[in-house]
Amino acid sequence: MGALGKPIILMVGMYAFLKFVLPNIPGSAPLPSSLIILYLLLTASGIVIFETLSGESKDAFWGPIQRFLTGENIGGLQALRYGVFILFPLLVGWQTYGSTAVSDLPPTESRTIHPAPPGEYTGLSNPVPKTPENIMQGKGFYAAYCSPCHGGNFDGKGPAARGYIPAPANFADPTTIAMLQESYLFWRIKKGGIGLPIEGAPWKSAMPRWEVELPDEWIWKIIMGEYDGAHQSPRTWE
Amino acid sequence: MKPANQIIRQVLRGGIGVLTAIMVGAATIGFAQESVSVRATLMTGGVPVDDPSAAAWSTAPAATFPMSPQVHWQNRIQEVTVKDVIVRALHDGKQVAVLVEYTDPTQDPDDAAALEFMVGDKKAHFAHGQPMLQVEGGPVNIWFWKNKAGKAVDMNAKGFGTLKAQEHQDVKAKGAYSNGTWKVVFSRDLATGHAEEDVQISPGQFISIAFAVWDGRKDGAGDLVEKGSQKAVSSWWYFRADAPPDYSGYMYAAIAAALALGFQFVLIRKLKKGQSA
Repeated sequence: MGALGKPIILMVGMYAFLKFVLPNIPGSAPLPSSLIILYLLLTASGIVIFETLSGESKDAFWGPIQRFLTGENIGGLQALRYGVFILFPLLVGWQTYGSTAVSDLPPTESRTIHPAPPGEYTGLSNPVPKTPENIMQGKGFYAAYCSPCHGGNFDGKGPAARGYIPAPANFADPTTIAMLQESYLFWRIKKGGIGLPIEGAPWKSAMPRWEVELPDEWIWKIIMGEYDGAHQSPRTWE
Repeated sequence: MKPANQIIRQVLRGGIGVLTAIMVGAATIGFAQESVSVRATLMTGGVPVDDPSAAAWSTAPAATFPMSPQVHWQNRIQEVTVKDVIVRALHDGKQVAVLVEYTDPTQDPDDAAALEFMVGDKKAHFAHGQPMLQVEGGPVNIWFWKNKAGKAVDMNAKGFGTLKAQEHQDVKAKGAYSNGTWKVVFSRDLATGHAEEDVQISPGQFISIAFAVWDGRKDGAGDLVEKGSQKAVSSWWYFRADAPPDYSGYMYAAIAAALALGFQFVLIRKLKKGQSA
């Protein structure tokens, strides 16, 4: 069994690393189980290739496996052998049941959070001068029209937010307005949820179509007030 | 020795196939959505369409959905009484009943509640099926109950200002108020003859559902606080009527296990032959 010891240790070690060590490295995150299995499959195929490079290593690698399966001279491992023979069909049966049984889970809906805007809303620059007065005015409009959902602290936690899915955007989060241009916000505020393309799941969004209620100038001022209040800067291409 | 090695290699290839199957299975579980849905439990002996307190309701799982003040379009409202609705559902293969339960400190004639469904295959905006700019949407079917009317109205809408009662009224509703809690039962046949207007409920299939509630209290001046578009609303959620039990999965599992067992026997026999050769 000597030739099999190292591969087994390697596989177990690899699993332990992916499952328990990697997620704790700063800046990392837990891996989805599918990715862990993919890495383990790669490790396993690497081991098989390595072990079968020469005729000698090949026999040393396959020999024990073959002896185990045929049950010749394996002594105390006989019980384990029968265990494997019982467990394998059960595993196959369980797996088949899992893949044919009707799922109780609702259909998954993927939603693109920042879908591409229509052409006319790319690259527009804010026509309102960035003066303290305009920013203040924008914050005032924000408080009146946006804060019930997006929150007085620009964190998406306004009093009206709780029942809405998708949740109102949190502007203080660096993955929202900080990675968007001002013209993108102008499009989203003007057209609202119903203006989203199909990949944005417009039927779910509660965002109003503000163009029917607010003049463009107010919307540009709101954008200014949002960035200032959330301590973010618009994305630029320079 | 050589043929045995080849056999083992084939077995390992097969094994990788099994592992891949496990991987796909695990991935499905790993990425499953956590959203809540209403599950209409299948029962026998007729659904309690007139009794919000029937014992049968305790057999249906309860799902809780958060509510928001309606802010999507004018007239908006900033604050509403009802913060959550608890929903249960039952069906008997012919009729479906949905029990909506929520806390409301006072019983008022204008207290009201509604269910909303998408109709047909097209997606509809949760706000009365308001037309979308880049996506062609479908209509919504609204089941509306008001305390003082004491009955349901079966309605359709495809955008603001298009809400209209249907010619065919198929929905029933009954409300009961007790200890600061409203329990309202909506009921209808699973299928109707009007697929263009009415949501059709096929057991086993997920459909979209949303909720609305109006607290009929009045302000100091005697005006209704929550009325029309000024109401508590929910997002779209899923609804499914349970399909009759299906045991075919066990049969497939048994066949697969038997095949695997047979495969093992053949493999061991071949290996033993290869060794002696």
